[in-house]
Amino acid sequence: MISVRGLRKHYKVHKRPPGLKAAFRSLFHREYTTVKAVDGISFEIRAGERVGFLGPNGAGKTTTLKVLSGLLHPSEGEVRVDGHVPRHREEAFLKKIMLVMGQKQQLLWDLPPAETFELNRAIYDVPQAQFKQTVDELVALLELEELIQKPSRQLSLGERMKCELAAALIHRPRVLFLDEPTIGLDVSMQVTMRSFIKAYTERHGATLILTSHYMDDVAALCPRIVVIDKGALSYDGGLDALVQRVRPEKRVMFRLEQPVEAARLTSLGRVVSHEPGSAVLQVPPEAVSATISRALSSLPVTDLTVENAPLEEVMSELFAENKARRASVAGEVGS
Amino acid sequence: MLRRYSRLLGVQLRASSLLAMQYRGDFLLEGVISLFWTFTAMVPLLVVYGERQAIAGWSFGEALLVVGWFTLLQGVLEGAITPSLNGVVEHIRKGTLDFVLLKPADAQFLVSTTRFEPWRSTNVLTGVAIFVYSFHLLGRGPSIPGLLASVVLLGTSTLLLYSMWILTVSAAFFVVKVDNLTYFFQSIFDAARWPSSVFKGPLAFVFTFLIPLALMTTFPAEAMLGRLPLRALVAAVVGSIVFAFISRRVWLRSIGHYTSAGG
Amino acid sequence: MSLRNTVRAFPSLLRVGFSEALAYRAELLVWVLSTTMPFIMMALWTAVARDEPIGPYNAEGFVGYFLATFVVRQLTGAWAAWQINYEVRQGTLAMRLLRPISPLWAYAAENLGAVPMRVMVAVPVAIFSVLVVGEQAVPREWWGWPLLLVTLLGGWLITFLANVCIGTMALFMESSNHVMDVWLVLFFILSGYMFPVSLGPPWLSALVDWLPFRYQIGLPVEVMTGRHELPETLLLLARQWIWVLVLGTLAVTLWRRGLRRFAAYGG
Repeated sequence: MISVRGLRKHYKVHKRPPGLKAAFRSLFHREYTTVKAVDGISFEIRAGERVGFLGPNGAGKTTTLKVLSGLLHPSEGEVRVDGHVPRHREEAFLKKIMLVMGQKQQLLWDLPPAETFELNRAIYDVPQAQFKQTVDELVALLELEELIQKPSRQLSLGERMKCELAAALIHRPRVLFLDEPTIGLDVSMQVTMRSFIKAYTERHGATLILTSHYMDDVAALCPRIVVIDKGALSYDGGLDALVQRVRPEKRVMFRLEQPVEAARLTSLGRVVSHEPGSAVLQVPPEAVSATISRALSSLPVTDLTVENAPLEEVMSELFAENKARRASVAGEVGS
Repeated sequence: MLRRYSRLLGVQLRASSLLAMQYRGDFLLEGVISLFWTFTAMVPLLVVYGERQAIAGWSFGEALLVVGWFTLLQGVLEGAITPSLNGVVEHIRKGTLDFVLLKPADAQFLVSTTRFEPWRSTNVLTGVAIFVYSFHLLGRGPSIPGLLASVVLLGTSTLLLYSMWILTVSAAFFVVKVDNLTYFFQSIFDAARWPSSVFKGPLAFVFTFLIPLALMTTFPAEAMLGRLPLRALVAAVVGSIVFAFISRRVWLRSIGHYTSAGG
Repeated sequence: MSLRNTVRAFPSLLRVGFSEALAYRAELLVWVLSTTMPFIMMALWTAVARDEPIGPYNAEGFVGYFLATFVVRQLTGAWAAWQINYEVRQGTLAMRLLRPISPLWAYAAENLGAVPMRVMVAVPVAIFSVLVVGEQAVPREWWGWPLLLVTLLGGWLITFLANVCIGTMALFMESSNHVMDVWLVLFFILSGYMFPVSLGPPWLSALVDWLPFRYQIGLPVEVMTGRHELPETLLLLARQWIWVLVLGTLAVTLWRRGLRRFAAYGG
């Protein structure tokens, strides 16, 4: 469905130094630097897959999404979405995709979302019957009845995002690009959005690419993740496999009946946190059951859970690894 | 395809009307101030004609016709053209132009039909009232073929104004932070208040060929007076079509730049 | 907010204002290019005076007058009314109020900060005027020059303080931008911007003498082109600075009242 080969996107940015003298000089002589937003990325996505793009800020995730939706021309490389070349921006192509950007909105500000729905219906040429069916489905799934007749500016951020999502789905796109859709939303709204997106993509067999900083979004929605760091692909595969590779250690969380001295914990494994009523240990996977049985016999444990390391930490460690690797490569090249 | 775009236009008009009803107080006030400006801007005209009978070959009544056309076109400009195109600069600034480019419809059309301000039709009515008064002063009526020609010129002037705005807005793609373009545009347009024979030398060249203000207000006034030569009418029609073509190309080039330079 | 604190801080405020103007030089250029009215009026009035002069102005006199108008407009421009309206609407005024210096000083510094860049545009135009029109373009007596500076400062102050007065109305009503629009319309007609004030009918000239607009543009332009003798110039200067005082008092009073209301209603 989506095929990206050797994608590169470079920008020539001219340096704007501060100060009056520099401003004068720049009138005559411009200095340029090349920003490599995306520097050689390749991947394939099948129809109906849900993929999460992860990466630090400025890594190139949004740039890649924009190239896939035809908003940006690649500097190099081949991109195909459902057989179309995105940058040609064919009408048939545009009717198949949607892009939602969490920090920007397409809803008409002073008018109710229902007007935006109508507008999109006219723009995407959606037949009346299908339009009604789609709107009813979206209103039911997202609980929008009371919201769609109020002017958008009167809605809260969470309500607006729900309506944004609905407006973007009026034309039943087959490919969904979501760029940080849950940013700034409270936890319950994030959960609502996630379950809606999952239900929608499953019901309609849509392909999804999601970028997010909230690991929970990705963990809940995307069995496959692509990690982009400094414009390059750092990992492409399952989430669990990544965690195994980067931070295979498990977290064992104990609830304790009474406070325990640190010495008794350190003998069991690496102590991550130690409170009067609880403690968290980091333990290599092969030692988990042994550690647990020792803990149960030697500590006043009332409850315990075993988890993977938090995704945030896994990702930071991955990025730190990448950074160190880049630095050493640069060091070798330099010397 | 034509049917699709006219349906789109209908939807956009409806959204604008809803907005116009919602903010009618605001819009009406702006319309009133615009009229206030129209009349007070006639004060220099009164002062000038207090001293002289004719300026650059135009009598007071004749010059008033030019002012009438200026007012009418200003209504068209501020009611149908400026509101939408101002939105483009907003879009570029907020980064929401991407949403427009994602839609399977021509971006220039979408962007030009976003917003209309129907309350500005008061300017159009005022313009017509000024025409009636001018001809009353002149003691005769307009020539009929001249009247028809002036209606054609209304179309060419609108097309010219629209193309000029498209060119100005295309500049916004390259110089993003420029958000006082409306004021800049209006300041240039102000020169169209006076008969173009007032401008001599290099300014005459600028205002006839580069920024064709002369065509927009002076030609229709001359047509109504029955003294516009046919070839001038033809030149206006051809010129405005050429101008529209050029502005379309510039727009497409600017969008291309936007999408390849990173938006 | 002690005066000494403000005086010490003002140079930095000015420096910041200048840097901001520099950063926004593209916008400044557009504002400068939007000052088309003097040139349009110049074309109109020279066409009128082509055959014989009108009052004390012949065609050359009009050229000198309107080039001077352009220069004065650049040097006395202020936009604090829009600033205040914008900040009240965006909520950023509250942040300014947290600082120990009155925001009015900050606005003044920001508006003044644009002046150096505008001087760079104004000076070439003034030189051009001298080349084209000769000595009619600039003060001919020695006292013309210092008084020109005084009257330019007065013109700037009237513009700025009027902006502040109207801007503070945004603290009482929803938006005062429309009031500013009306002020601008009156300014265009009654200040000498579109035609020298001496050319209108007598009742207009009399009215104009009592209103502040003439002292924003008309007076500095007349001093620059050396239209009056010394006694008359001093008299007009006095009237200008009376207006400065009146508007200054009004601005400060409105501002204080407005802030009290702003704090009470939470803006």
